[in-house]
Amino acid sequence: MKNILIVALFALALAACDKPIRLDLGQSTPRVIIEGQVTNRLGSQYVKVSRSSDFYQTGPSPRITNAIVTVKDSDGNEIMFEHNPRNYADSIGYYLPQTAFVGTIGKDYHLRVEVDGQVYEADDHLYSVTSIDSLAFRVDDDEKDDPKDYNKFYEVLLYAKEPQNTTDYYLFKFYRNDSLKVDDDNEIYYSNDEALGESIDGISSPVFFGPGDKATVEAYSLSRSGYVFYDDLQKLLNTDGGLFNQPPANSRTNLTNGAFGFFHASAVNSKTIVIVE
Amino acid sequence: MIRSLSFVFFVLISIQALSQEKVTLNGYVRDVSNGEELIGVTVYIPQMKAGTMTNPYGFYSLTLPKGTYEVQFSYVGYSAQTVTVNLQGNTERNIDMLGESTMMQEVVVSDKRVDENVVQLQMSKNTLDMNRVRKLPALFGEVDIIKNIQMLPGVITAGEGTSSFYVRGGSADQNLILIDEAPIYDPSHLFGLFSVFNADVIKDSELYKGGIPARFGGRLSSILEVRTKDGNNKQLSGSAGIGTMASRLMIEGPIKKDKSSFIISARRSYVDLFLRAANNDNLVHFYDVNAKLNWRHNNNNRFFAAFYSGRDVFNFGDQFGFAWGNRTATFRWNHLFNDRLFSNTSVILSNFDYKLELKDPVQGFKWTSNLEELSVKNDLSYFINTNNDLTFGYHITGRRFSPGRISPNTEASMFKEINLQHMFAIDHALYISNQQRVSEKITLDYGLRLSIFQNVGSTDLYLYNDPQNNSRPVRTDTVHYGAWKNIKTYVNLEPRAAIRYMLADGQSLKASYNRMVQNTHLVAAGTVPVPFNTWNPSGYYLTPQLADQVALGYFRNLRDNTLEFSAEAYYKDMKNVTDFADNANIFFNQDLSTEFRQGKSWSYGLELMLNKKEGKLTGSVGYTWSKTMRKVPGVNGGMEFPANYDRRHVLNIQAAYDYSPRWTFGATFTYSTGRPVTVPTGKFEYENYHPDVITERNGYRLPVFHRLDLSATYSPKKNDNRRWKGSWVFSVYNAYNRQNPFTIYTRVTKNKDGDIIGDGYTKEARMIYLFPILPSVTYNIKF
Repeated sequence: MKNILIVALFALALAACDKPIRLDLGQSTPRVIIEGQVTNRLGSQYVKVSRSSDFYQTGPSPRITNAIVTVKDSDGNEIMFEHNPRNYADSIGYYLPQTAFVGTIGKDYHLRVEVDGQVYEADDHLYSVTSIDSLAFRVDDDEKDDPKDYNKFYEVLLYAKEPQNTTDYYLFKFYRNDSLKVDDDNEIYYSNDEALGESIDGISSPVFFGPGDKATVEAYSLSRSGYVFYDDLQKLLNTDGGLFNQPPANSRTNLTNGAFGFFHASAVNSKTIVIVE
Repeated sequence: MIRSLSFVFFVLISIQALSQEKVTLNGYVRDVSNGEELIGVTVYIPQMKAGTMTNPYGFYSLTLPKGTYEVQFSYVGYSAQTVTVNLQGNTERNIDMLGESTMMQEVVVSDKRVDENVVQLQMSKNTLDMNRVRKLPALFGEVDIIKNIQMLPGVITAGEGTSSFYVRGGSADQNLILIDEAPIYDPSHLFGLFSVFNADVIKDSELYKGGIPARFGGRLSSILEVRTKDGNNKQLSGSAGIGTMASRLMIEGPIKKDKSSFIISARRSYVDLFLRAANNDNLVHFYDVNAKLNWRHNNNNRFFAAFYSGRDVFNFGDQFGFAWGNRTATFRWNHLFNDRLFSNTSVILSNFDYKLELKDPVQGFKWTSNLEELSVKNDLSYFINTNNDLTFGYHITGRRFSPGRISPNTEASMFKEINLQHMFAIDHALYISNQQRVSEKITLDYGLRLSIFQNVGSTDLYLYNDPQNNSRPVRTDTVHYGAWKNIKTYVNLEPRAAIRYMLADGQSLKASYNRMVQNTHLVAAGTVPVPFNTWNPSGYYLTPQLADQVALGYFRNLRDNTLEFSAEAYYKDMKNVTDFADNANIFFNQDLSTEFRQGKSWSYGLELMLNKKEGKLTGSVGYTWSKTMRKVPGVNGGMEFPANYDRRHVLNIQAAYDYSPRWTFGATFTYSTGRPVTVPTGKFEYENYHPDVITERNGYRLPVFHRLDLSATYSPKKNDNRRWKGSWVFSVYNAYNRQNPFTIYTRVTKNKDGDIIGDGYTKEARMIYLFPILPSVTYNIKF
């Protein structure tokens, strides 16, 4: 809902023109950035360690490859993470578990990252997530008139039950033929359940598909602090420079010692459907 | 406190005792052409070197020893009048003044004007000259008083296209905006492109920036008092206008000649009609309706009823829409208890509401919010003698805040109904103030306002283990308060004082002090409030905002009072200014109180103003140097930072030139230091996102803002066969097409189609520019 508001305000402001300008910025102090996740799905556990860079820096951010990374659950099981074990060129800065494991609903997870003698830690609880009962699809008429991508004008409809006796926070991801898609590069699909009733009967996807495409929807559980992180991140990514909305600020995080980013433990449920004409 | 009050009463009683041998001259001052009462007319008796001004209802009263007097009545835009009065008993004398615009061009008014700018005690006040405002260029040709208020010294704007203004280091919600005494909670149309004030019905508008009289309260920084016309009680007349954005119609006339009159006016934008014609289903419109009835029962009893209703409606296709608007009603009774005791009793209703609606079978919902208030005011003016004018009164206001309700609007909606709690407040204010002429050189005003603010039930008050933890609010208890049960009471004394000291001819020094208290807090974290912001009363979690302001001014008139010069310096110290935590969630938050942060703010500045009121060329030059800082624990790491509306230099020039009876030209130039903004110093990667790293709030300045607007008004010779007279207004906004900064945002570098280009990591900062050169034409008729 908030997003709609911001979009509406921005639509007005953007009726005018905008141009790139060069900001006269000094050098920034690099910060340690940690992006980590533990889920109840095999093979999706990872921790990425990098640094922030100057605003106008080109290319990927500097990656940290010599960190000592461990994840410990509330039963005391500790798993060591290893930097890019398979030496993939696109996985520099990514740490994977030395021994495969899956997260368990109801457990707490503790991340510890040591970089050059500095220790950064985070805790998160792995909550359950409601299952996606089914998916359907239909033609979106507006999108058919003016498709963003050629031929992609089917929207996927999601059916689920929102548990009314628990406080839940959600993160959604949409995949077209196994590739993660967003409608706009600054969009995050997340929600709390404050205003949600029990029946979610066909909420439409923000991402569009073409005939023959495989559409996958993933629902992740988030803790309250995870929700707050994504909410802050969304505000930061979509700031209007403090004119109608508040001045931009860094996202709140569960990481200690001044690191940015987040470590989240999530349960995941997903469904896939193939679009047929 | 009690002692000082009783001292004031003692002084008053003794003053009254001394004045018993005197008689009173009183009456109303009106415009001869339409019977409108004139506010702030200078009434001056040279032989006594004493005088007064008509009050907000056009009434004056002077108590003098018996004798024969020459009494001068003077008012800007009207020819001065001198009447001889043989005062042997209490005398009522109503004065009809002749407006210069209604006079023949050839008549030269040679009466020497009383030097109002210098002589009057009130400083830090600006009155808009509506005649001049109409000659000046306006955005899309819509004459807008708020856009003119934004040009005054000491007033700052957030940029173009907004209706918010910032007075002497105060935020936009610290201005009390009144239309016929009723507060307007959001003065914007189209998110601020225009204001809610339709210039056709505006009689008078005044902005108090400092030395605020004791009869006003409730906001820290300023009072903008807008009064609408009472309606012509001589003959039926009206005006209409067709502009590029909106059309207007106003009709006024007597119900019973010289006794009662009405005025009704409406304005509607019609962009949506074009869009509809162009088959675009994004429809946007706004309208305003003002109406007033005015009945003079006799000279001792007068009644008014004024109404305003305005609304903006946005519809994006048939899926999404929102709307907001203000509705106000004012009922007034002016009563003369005797020749010297004038009373005004008002009952005022004000309502602001907004709604948002998403129409979708599954994602559909409706979100509504409103704020209602009812107040009763009794204001009394007691004209004790030529040296003392006493004003006192009592105001009571009840408010109901309904910050939000979300409800499903279809059977299959995934939403359920949720309500944010209503909040209630009762506000009492008692004030007394005396304007005393101590000697020929010194005039004083001293007053006291007592405000008692109560946050009452019914409500459920949430208690938290840490009331400032907005990341994870943990409620430890909920305390229920029944209807009218007191939750928290705040009592504040607000002293007000002013002095004017006459120097040599045509010069004066003025000083003032005021303390202001604000108990209604706008929940808005951006620079410019949006209509979807809500208000919160002071209560368990919010303490009243306080401001102490001192101002010092030098006033001088030159060239036979045709040029007014003023220099004012001020220092304002504000405590408990309401701010919000970084990343605050201010929309539909059940734990909103955990987002509140209060701190201090301070502002100082120098304002220079040169105003030419007479002649073919009229206009003003205003320059302001100022600095405004904030320091709020929990915001910007507790470090001080420049307020969003901090500007070092602001220069505004307005000029109107009557070239011939046919042609009038107007020009406006504005220059301002850039708005402070928060810009990134770095960036990082998280998943597929590229967020910025922020280090310092408002640490960067947008480029300077400057703009020139031009206008020309052509009034063809009146066709004697017609009852009406037309005129054309041509205006050019941003004449030299300056690209003025509106705001900055950042993104991963993209091409103009919005596709990411380059390596996908490089970011760019982009500046939004609002208005290029914009010509417009408006056709106005008067009948």
